[in-house]
Amino acid sequence: MTSRPVHPRSAYHPIQLLWPLMWLVLLVGVVLMIPHAQTLFQWLAPDARQVIYQRADFTQLLGRHLMVVGVAASITITLGVLAGVMVTRQWGRDFLPLVSQIASLGQTFPPVAVLALAVPALGFGTIPIIVALVLYGLLPIVRNTIAGLKDVDPGVVSAAYGMGMTPGQILRQVELPLAAPVILAGIRTSVTINIATAALGATVGASNLGDPIIAGIVNANNAYIVQGAMVIALLAVSIDSIFEVFQRRLRLHTP
Amino acid sequence: MIELCNVSKFFDQTPAVEELTLSIPKGKFCALVGTSGCGKSTTLRMINRLLTHSSGEIELDGQSIDAYDPVLLRRRIGYVIQNTGLFPHWNVARNIGLVPRLLKWPTAQVNQRVEELMGLLGLPVSEFAHKYPHQLSGGQAQRVGVARALAADPDILLMDEPFGALDPITREKLQEMLMQLQARLHKTIVFVTHDMDEALRLADMLVVMRDGRIVQQGTPLSLLQKPTDSFVDSLLGGLERGLKQASLTRVKDHMAPLGPHLPAQSRVMTEQTLRQALSMMLRDHCEWLTVVDQHDVPVGELSLRKLVKEAFQAQEKSRDV
Repeated sequence: MTSRPVHPRSAYHPIQLLWPLMWLVLLVGVVLMIPHAQTLFQWLAPDARQVIYQRADFTQLLGRHLMVVGVAASITITLGVLAGVMVTRQWGRDFLPLVSQIASLGQTFPPVAVLALAVPALGFGTIPIIVALVLYGLLPIVRNTIAGLKDVDPGVVSAAYGMGMTPGQILRQVELPLAAPVILAGIRTSVTINIATAALGATVGASNLGDPIIAGIVNANNAYIVQGAMVIALLAVSIDSIFEVFQRRLRLHTP
Repeated sequence: MIELCNVSKFFDQTPAVEELTLSIPKGKFCALVGTSGCGKSTTLRMINRLLTHSSGEIELDGQSIDAYDPVLLRRRIGYVIQNTGLFPHWNVARNIGLVPRLLKWPTAQVNQRVEELMGLLGLPVSEFAHKYPHQLSGGQAQRVGVARALAADPDILLMDEPFGALDPITREKLQEMLMQLQARLHKTIVFVTHDMDEALRLADMLVVMRDGRIVQQGTPLSLLQKPTDSFVDSLLGGLERGLKQASLTRVKDHMAPLGPHLPAQSRVMTEQTLRQALSMMLRDHCEWLTVVDQHDVPVGELSLRKLVKEAFQAQEKSRDV
């Protein structure tokens, strides 16, 4: 039998861990260095009396920021994947347009507006920003879950039924694993965007990495803004590169 | 034993299969043939309840398939489809072991069965067990597909144009493999194809369908000798029918004892087909061939005149029936 040349799967190599590691080291380094970089920031804001954001420790702000994004991401992923799975089932097909529309609406609705509407109902603090992040982050996950599941070869699903798998087994063992790279791409987009968006929480009293930025804008202090923005950007890049590694590993197991 | 009795299937009022009655005895290889959209695949998919029949009765070994849980029913029936339907994220060994694992066989037994099947289908374990479907050629992938269908040793095998997507040489190899398997395993096979040569080659029993109904059924030879109408005749190859019939007949069934004359220049083996013998006669400009066994020892002779006469008699006979 003539055999097609075998394409070796791009081998998994520890070197791929180097990038996220590098970004994480940089992130931690910057967070620890900020309080000691007086001269550098003085140069950015020559007129300011104080150039290092002092109201809270940056490690603390980073922790709170991660917490908000993490809680929002857990809710978004659960809701988004469940909704995506539901509308691709035989019985849930009728809900497909409705769910897509709600998810799109969530993203087109500006998070600032969500905050403005949520604060009167939920009060100041962390809850309104989590609500805003969940709504904002739902679309990429729902959309990619639907796309990923619809992309699964119908022949494979039909064969799975023919072999005597139950619908639950097909979903868990065939459809979700095959759709996983696409779903993960959606989660990656959602989480990365939300790391930046979470900074808005500072406007409603959710203390996080947005605090220095807001304080910087209010006091016309560029140094504060740069400090907050730098840490947020490094956090986003670090998390993004961790997702990159996961995606690579997933791709190793699916063609 | 598979029995379909007055089975119909409608898709939104449109009939796909109408009043189909068919009985496939245990251990027989039954080919469903016909043009596209004649209902042959629909018929197949009703047997493992991937489609639910609209009316009539389908029975396996005397028991209605409605009495089974569809999931459990399907685990007892092997199923092979054209594009293999292998799980792309599972390696070959895991794909083959699917149904035994669904049936909760102990791991050691599953592994042993997988190795056994890979041996049976000519897929060396060391070379293929850890490959993924996208690393296989079409023929290799379909061998895996057949192995997966046979994994839990089902009595029934449903094959939906399994070799339709393969190149002619690979297809012929897999047909050969399937014939050898069937000679050992004696499964009840329902095989859907639109390739009449494939059906004639493999089947014990041929069912010709058209517009959701059976036009004619019988052994390949009986259909070739006496097609019921012009549709079956054209499907069977029209003017080529004589040759197709010859390709189903072995030389040994028509040879005469060695005659008094010198051996002919051209030799044909007992196991070769009459079609091959005829082709040799045309090629070598001779009216008779010497028949040899596998050790190249002459055992008889084959004469064109006698063949023509016998074919005529066979036709006379079938006309009398």
